[in-house]
Amino acid sequence: MQTKPNPGFFKRNPPIAGEAEAIEAAKNGDPEAFSRLYALHKRRVYTLCLRMLGNVSEAEDMTQEAFLHLYRKLGSFRGESAFSTWLHRLTVNLVLMHLRKKGLQLVSLEETINPSEEDAPKRDFGSRDNMLTGSVDRVTLERAVASLPPGYRMVFVLHDVEGFEHNEIASMLECSTGNSKSQLHKARLKLRELLRQPQDLPPVAGLTEVSR
Amino acid sequence: MKDLATRNLDNMTPSEFEAYLPELFENGGGKISEDPRFVNFFHSNPNCAALVRDLETIAEQARSLFEPTEEPSDNVWSNIANKLKDEPRVEE
Repeated sequence: MQTKPNPGFFKRNPPIAGEAEAIEAAKNGDPEAFSRLYALHKRRVYTLCLRMLGNVSEAEDMTQEAFLHLYRKLGSFRGESAFSTWLHRLTVNLVLMHLRKKGLQLVSLEETINPSEEDAPKRDFGSRDNMLTGSVDRVTLERAVASLPPGYRMVFVLHDVEGFEHNEIASMLECSTGNSKSQLHKARLKLRELLRQPQDLPPVAGLTEVSR
Repeated sequence: MKDLATRNLDNMTPSEFEAYLPELFENGGGKISEDPRFVNFFHSNPNCAALVRDLETIAEQARSLFEPTEEPSDNVWSNIANKLKDEPRVEE
């Protein structure tokens, strides 16, 4: 049974032409339809994995896992949120599980809330020295995001790029919504610092600009 | 921290303003830089005005990252297709 979707969910992820038909056909075991879903969503899922992991090989492995998981779980998609939102949430949870299995404390509360002194944004953020000198282009911002401490990067990508709400992020990262808001603010402050000296930002592995 | 609704916004210190910023960005419902409540404060504290403009620029530009530019290698789909051959569908 299809649940009537909430139009609010589709502000950021409007339905893609042919997607609904592909979902229904894939649910019924049509391999071509699943291949079509992969073609429609592989780039976003892969880019999300790459941003969270910062590593091409791991990002490809997690993209593979996400679509295998999608295949097994597709029957439970009821259309209560946009399909891409649902798929991205599934992907984020898999990546977080992967990171926890690796034993990295990337998403533990302490690490997320208390990055090292060096990584935290400086307290003189209101000074003129920290102002951006012009507009921010996409490539430079991508490099700055990749340079963020892992906890900051995670919250920034999930909220400002992916569009998740703080309560969803808190649930995924197992922290409070207040912590999520605070982390996002610190992430933006840190980005402001990083973007002031874009020439110092390292290239990002796996991004097109590197291979040009 | 005092509720913003009962606070005299014109005589806030920059650090007091900064303490409100995460909530303002979350609940402001629009651009803080264009919020008439802060006109006098920003006039007196141009560094805070610049900070807000910069953070708004960063948040706006972040949305442009949603559209991906990267693509996984063809091996990813080959691996998925191979694994799906033996995979029974789990309906939930």
